[in-house]
Amino acid sequence: MEKQTPSTMDIVNRGLARRYRKEKQFKLLGLSAIIASLMFLVFLFGSIVANGWTAFRQGAIYLDITFDEQALQVENLRNANYGKLIKTSMAELFPDVSGRSQTRRLNKLVSSGAAFELQDMVLSDPGLIGTTKLVRLPVDDEVDMLLKGHISRDVPESERRISDEQIAWVDQLVEAGRLQLEFNTTFFTAGDSREPELSGIKGAIMGSMFTLLVTLALSFPIGVAAAVYLEEFAPSNKWTDFIEVNINNLAAVPSIVFGLLGLAVFLNFFGLPRSAPLVGGLVLTLMTLPTIIIASRASLKSVPPSIREAALGVGASKMQAITHHVLPLAMPGMMTGTIIGMAQALGETAPLLMIGMVAFIVDVPGSFTDPSTVLPVQIYLWADSPERAFVERTSAAIMVLLTFLICMNGVAVFLRKKFERRW
Amino acid sequence: MGMDTVLDMGDTFLTGKNTLGAIDSVVEEKVDREDRTTVGTQFVDDARMTCRDVNVFYGDKQAIRSVSIDVANNEVLAMIGPSGCGKSTFLRCLNRMNDTVDICRVKGEILLDGHDIYDKSVDVVPLRAQVGMVFQKPNPFPKSIYDNVAYGPKIHGIVNSKTELDGIVEDSLKKAGLWNEVSDRLDEPGTGLSGGQQQRLCIARAVAVRPEVILMDEPCSALDPIATATVEDLITELKEQYTIVIVTHNMQQAARISQRTAYFHLGDLVEVGATDRIFTNPLHQLTEDYITGRFG
Amino acid sequence: MLKKGLIFGAVSLLAVSAVNTSSAAGGRDYISIVGSSTVYPFATTVAEQFGKTTKFKTPKIESTGSGGGMKLFCAGVGVESPDITNASRRIKSSEFKKCQDNGVKDIVEIKIGYDGIVVANSKKAEQLKLSRKDLFLALAKDVPDPKGGEKVVPNPYKTWKDVNPELPATAIEVLGPPPTSGTRDAFVELAMEGGCKKFDFIKAMKKSDKNAYKGICHTVREDGAYIEAGENDNLIVQKLDANPQSLGIFGFSFLDQNGDKIQGSFVDGQAPTFENIADGKYPVSRPLYFYVKKAHVGVIPGIAEFLAEFSSDRTWGEDGYLTEKGLIPAPAEERAKFAADAKGLTPLSM
Ligand SMILES: Nc1ncnc2c1ncn2[C@@H]1O[C@H](COP(=O)(O)OP(=O)(O)O)[C@@H](O)[C@H]1O
Ligand SMILES: [Mg+2]
Repeated sequence: MEKQTPSTMDIVNRGLARRYRKEKQFKLLGLSAIIASLMFLVFLFGSIVANGWTAFRQGAIYLDITFDEQALQVENLRNANYGKLIKTSMAELFPDVSGRSQTRRLNKLVSSGAAFELQDMVLSDPGLIGTTKLVRLPVDDEVDMLLKGHISRDVPESERRISDEQIAWVDQLVEAGRLQLEFNTTFFTAGDSREPELSGIKGAIMGSMFTLLVTLALSFPIGVAAAVYLEEFAPSNKWTDFIEVNINNLAAVPSIVFGLLGLAVFLNFFGLPRSAPLVGGLVLTLMTLPTIIIASRASLKSVPPSIREAALGVGASKMQAITHHVLPLAMPGMMTGTIIGMAQALGETAPLLMIGMVAFIVDVPGSFTDPSTVLPVQIYLWADSPERAFVERTSAAIMVLLTFLICMNGVAVFLRKKFERRW
Repeated sequence: MGMDTVLDMGDTFLTGKNTLGAIDSVVEEKVDREDRTTVGTQFVDDARMTCRDVNVFYGDKQAIRSVSIDVANNEVLAMIGPSGCGKSTFLRCLNRMNDTVDICRVKGEILLDGHDIYDKSVDVVPLRAQVGMVFQKPNPFPKSIYDNVAYGPKIHGIVNSKTELDGIVEDSLKKAGLWNEVSDRLDEPGTGLSGGQQQRLCIARAVAVRPEVILMDEPCSALDPIATATVEDLITELKEQYTIVIVTHNMQQAARISQRTAYFHLGDLVEVGATDRIFTNPLHQLTEDYITGRFG
Repeated sequence: MLKKGLIFGAVSLLAVSAVNTSSAAGGRDYISIVGSSTVYPFATTVAEQFGKTTKFKTPKIESTGSGGGMKLFCAGVGVESPDITNASRRIKSSEFKKCQDNGVKDIVEIKIGYDGIVVANSKKAEQLKLSRKDLFLALAKDVPDPKGGEKVVPNPYKTWKDVNPELPATAIEVLGPPPTSGTRDAFVELAMEGGCKKFDFIKAMKKSDKNAYKGICHTVREDGAYIEAGENDNLIVQKLDANPQSLGIFGFSFLDQNGDKIQGSFVDGQAPTFENIADGKYPVSRPLYFYVKKAHVGVIPGIAEFLAEFSSDRTWGEDGYLTEKGLIPAPAEERAKFAADAKGLTPLSM
């Protein structure tokens, strides 16, 4: 008699399958997005590691060096002919090698930096003179590349930078246990060099460290103070709106602009030295400040107003409410913002170009005003070097940079967890 | 009997001495809805706080219109009224909490023990020590129970030694009826307590700075009935030492714990009087409408 | 607490650096070099050698490009300005004048040798025998109308065979440096303009309408046949290896270092070999220079000694260590002349 109207439950049930299907689709979509980006990441890291891991090993040759008094001319240890000691030792190992050009080819197996290592040894310990000692010396980068298989023995001799004759010598040395791949300590203890086997990233790491110290020491207090002022004290009017717009804009300005600014202000106006971590730090401070201010303001905003009211309610002054209650609660967020800003600064090259930190610097910097470069700049410089051995070093330096970045972000996560878990 | 008579009655209250609960006969004719002049016992002799012609604006919007009322010593004054009528706004004038709202302007005169709290020379920090506050949502600091209570005394420099501070903390927690529950875990976070406990912790925190007046803004609205009952008992006890102004939207609560009740309507203070009288024999039509549940 | 520490740190840091700065401003104890990225590998090698074998510090070398280097170099005299600038071309008269105006009066010019620009492809492909004309026709934006007549049309050529029937029928795809690079400038001037001039009517334009002439000869096509591969020549080498179809343009030192993977094309019948470039037979090669601020010699320690190191035959001679880095030495007379200039600090006049 009366038409059966479908009950609410029926209607709901009918749509249910569709709703779950939608949910599943969305989940799948998200999952595949994450998998895709993970794959890219794995691919990127994989290729970098595959290219770069060999740089952590380095060919070393063991030679019996006789620190001959006569050859060294004891009066002038600085300008003595250390190369001769190596040549003598090599000649003893290969008595058959004769003639000027053949000897020259033989001696090219040893790095041109080996003589300087002997010089350092003798200068720090003159007692060596007159003795014979088994010394570990770096080999030339071509030999290193051969040992690592980056130079193929199959291509015609004319197309390799290492001849069949030299390969035979290398094989002989390997056979004799005098030539082998070892952990590459030079890579972590030396500054830049034009000879790949002598180059290291310590200079760049120290430069990055000094630069970031300046950046941190300036941008964190200034950024936090600015954020606290804007968020807690500044009246909301046209001026603060204007400032806010500008800060947000600055965060998006291409970083090279900060380099130009640094050039104009710090170098040309204040006359600070070129290529110095101090100036680099100042420029990167300008660059990271907006990031830190924005992150700090966001974390100040996220502190519940009830905490402020509670403090004011028992008679805390505004300053006390902020320093005792709001800041501690906002601190993890501020620190995260700061570390992210620092990580950004660590990876920056463009603004440093303008202030002369894209440079060839051999000596490891020891202070804030010594000329220096930074990790990403070192990567850039090596990537552009013709020697084959710099290819793996580029990747290795990228690995070091990535390690630093991962560590910094790890610290950020750790700090956040630590401070959040307290309550 | 016309409008004038009622106004006269109002006048007798104005001039009458300590007229708490003076009315026993039921007034049949209520003050008309359109009339927003305050009726009832606005003023008392032993006033702790006196408010005269207080107007509050949020920007251009007026939230409180010409309110005049006294708060008597050691009484519990309840403020009731529909949502958005300005109870919180007015309450927050009493310890100048409204200063924190940029767009908020307060006009008129509010005296605490005869001194204008809005005078330029007055510092809000000691004022808020004198007039403490408990908020609607329990808001303990994310610190230990001990630190929550000790914070006020510490910043005001009330104490000289750790033992003295321990004493105040214990005393305040006892006054708030929380001591037995938390004495063995003072270093645990205050945020880990239950809602009712948190609110009592907030009361202890307010009490710890030895205020004269305690303002409470719907302190029980986020609590369950049992916790509410505990807090209500507590308020009744606290009355012995403190003057309490409490905002509530719960009329039974007002009836249970307060001596006087003020009814706010859309920014106007419509009626004030002894709590018994207000709930049994309201003078104003709007009050009657509200307490009989016609709106609100 | 933490914050106090940080503020204290920042203040003391600034104080320390202020002290350091004033001492650094008082004098610079290392040579500061700027300029061309082409000269950079050679200058850095000499600098490192110099730092290790003398009592002086290793010079600091910034890779700013030839133009950027000139700008810094000519900014004035004083510790804050560089002592030496490297260039992959000669100083321009406008730059020289700027220097003079800014008080940089005496400039010593040293030619250090030559650099060849090679057009190379993967060893997996056939070695090409190109001419400068082929390169111009393959890479210019506008080329003379193939149907004849004295007018230019947008480049219609798709394959090398279209350009020159003797070349293979592979698509034109050339990876090269961007306009900001000195290598690109040199390639455009030496190879493309060299080919462009072979057309008489264009050559005649040089006198009548210099801008139009330059526009035709110097503008690289933008339809995808020429791919700007960034400043990183190593990357180009890798790409060539992966894609045997394409050609790449870069400095000789990269060919020198990667002879097992890539081969240089003949240009005008000359292979890009060390000998051919040194003899001047290979047409796409350019001289490399550096310029010294005479006023700084004797003020900044080590400049004279650095010049001596650079201009010794052990360094830039036929068997010098720079040849291993791919420098093509200048002929002996030229070397002798510039070594004398370096020694006597003979200022340049223009
Ligand atoms: N911070 C503020 N800014 C603007 N208007 C406000 C603010 N706080 C309260 N008001 C307004 O003032 C009026 C009274 O609010 P309130 O005092 O919170 O009412 P009650 O506590 O009685 O519910 C309301 O209309 C409300 O919208
Ligand atoms: Mg309210």
